[in-house]
Amino acid sequence: MTEKKVLDLIRREMPKQPPEVRKFNFNEVAFGYSEELAVEEAKRCIQCKKAHCVQNCPVEIDIPAFIQCVADRNFAEGIRIIKQKNCLPAICGRVCPQEDQCEKVCTLVKKEGQLAIGRIERFLADWEARQGHVDMPEIPEWTGKKVAVIGGGPAGLTVAGDLILRGHKVTIFEALHKLGGVLVYGIPEFRLPKAIVNREVDYLKSLGVEVYTDFVVGKTQTMDSLLEEYDAAFVGSGAGLPWFMEIPGENLNGVYSANEYLTRLNLMKGYLFPTYHTPIKAHKRVAVVGGGNVAMDCARSALRLGAESRIVYRRSREELPARMEEIENAEEEGVIFDFLTLPLRYNGDASGWVKEMIVQKMELGEPDASGRRRPVPIEGSEVAVPVDAVVCAIGNSPNPLIGSTTPGLLLGKKGNIEADEETGKTSRDKIWAGGDVVTGAATVILAMGAGRKAANSIHEYLMGGDGE
Amino acid sequence: MQFESLVAVLEFAVRKEEEAAEFYTDLARSMVQPHIARIFEEFAAEEMEHKRKILIVMTGRPGWIPQARIKDLHVADIVEDVVPSSDMGYQQALILAMKAEKAAYLLYMELSSASEDDAMKDLFYLLAQEEARHRLRFEVEYDEQFSGEN
Repeated sequence: MTEKKVLDLIRREMPKQPPEVRKFNFNEVAFGYSEELAVEEAKRCIQCKKAHCVQNCPVEIDIPAFIQCVADRNFAEGIRIIKQKNCLPAICGRVCPQEDQCEKVCTLVKKEGQLAIGRIERFLADWEARQGHVDMPEIPEWTGKKVAVIGGGPAGLTVAGDLILRGHKVTIFEALHKLGGVLVYGIPEFRLPKAIVNREVDYLKSLGVEVYTDFVVGKTQTMDSLLEEYDAAFVGSGAGLPWFMEIPGENLNGVYSANEYLTRLNLMKGYLFPTYHTPIKAHKRVAVVGGGNVAMDCARSALRLGAESRIVYRRSREELPARMEEIENAEEEGVIFDFLTLPLRYNGDASGWVKEMIVQKMELGEPDASGRRRPVPIEGSEVAVPVDAVVCAIGNSPNPLIGSTTPGLLLGKKGNIEADEETGKTSRDKIWAGGDVVTGAATVILAMGAGRKAANSIHEYLMGGDGE
Repeated sequence: MQFESLVAVLEFAVRKEEEAAEFYTDLARSMVQPHIARIFEEFAAEEMEHKRKILIVMTGRPGWIPQARIKDLHVADIVEDVVPSSDMGYQQALILAMKAEKAAYLLYMELSSASEDDAMKDLFYLLAQEEARHRLRFEVEYDEQFSGEN
């Protein structure tokens, strides 16, 4: 008789800094699993014959295999398995929305005990870093082909990592002074320590990827002039053009886009002034407009800088697009949430600084043809909220520079590059694209998935196929 | 503004749609970016479709079915006016369009309330609701495209 395994449905929590401590510092909130916790969690996996988790992973990591390695304490093999498909595991283990991907379809989810796949992935990547050395893969002989990668964010880094391992010369052209894209300018230190991003970037550089920073394609050099020197190009320049609500008062001092606010903090290290030389103004009352992960990052950053911090969101808590983990963290730390609230305009003082926001209460209307309940204003519900800073975190489009300087490159309505979903091929010869520049602002792992598909297609093209 | 007959009202409405189509066509020609030019071409085509619907009514065939008051998301009320320029983006294009539809709605509502003839009052009201429907189409698109995280 075979022994029936008793299901362990208790998901192991990661130790975290207490809210009353962490809201005063920028250190990482979660400490990660200890070896014991990681092994305990991994042993809960029932090793399904049909692994839905793999199918729901944008880069198709062999999840059951690396989980089994952790259960067997074979951590070196576990990280090796992950790295076959994912060159940024320490990052993905922290910021990927696993609850909407691999963990969402875990068999144990039916009993609300889904495996913490992301936390185990993070554990393995951190374990490898603690060993002090990284196994270097063998680099094949040069194929004679050169690839330009525009943008050093998750999509571009993935393409670079994949193509260098196939023997092509790869050069990354990055507009900012550091590689990492949204990982360095967007996601705060308390959610993704920059040392981790630097570690992953250094690994790619050690493989031989060449890097030019402060290089703005479309200004420094056009795509077409790059293609005189390179055999193929991948555009992964992200979505760096912030949207505003286009309401009165958005040009007042103290009204930021989330991009500017977070870049000042994360890339320019504004919170470490005077160690770093670019300070950020200390505000007392900060309102962040929006309800996504970026809005949570801004609100929690404002809190750490000593401000009273509030999220202003025109729908209800149930519709918040941010990850539940981030919402709960923000709530625990003391971020105020104004739900069903819409800013109408901002008023300034005599010096041109924002001093208050006029907001209107909303209610969710009847479902429309699409089934969605859209927020509609409640007449006569306007109130003034005193603020000295507003951060608009409602979304981004791609920067129009590459699109407007590359003839024949087909763009969508919001300026996103149109690219084949399966290959990343654009309307222009020799040009592929992927990540946020194609989809609009999305997730790190989706950008990496697009990068992987594009890398396969570019490789096929360079080796004599059509890349289609 | 005086109208002698229902036909005169409908002819006025047809001219308004033609003017709107021409406005968008001119904008399309002046755009730097082809993908934005295409958007204005689509808007122009939609205005010509509105004109076609009015012409059907003019032939006496049933065209519009009177419907309940159209929902108003009030996006057009809170966003600032857009000054047309050759480097507009999709967000500005939608604002321009929804504000134009709102202005047309308000014009017809005003004409409806100013009208002493019941049939003419009803017709203006119907035209206003049609413009409100167009405005809602742009507001919903704006809501979908630019307010997902708001």
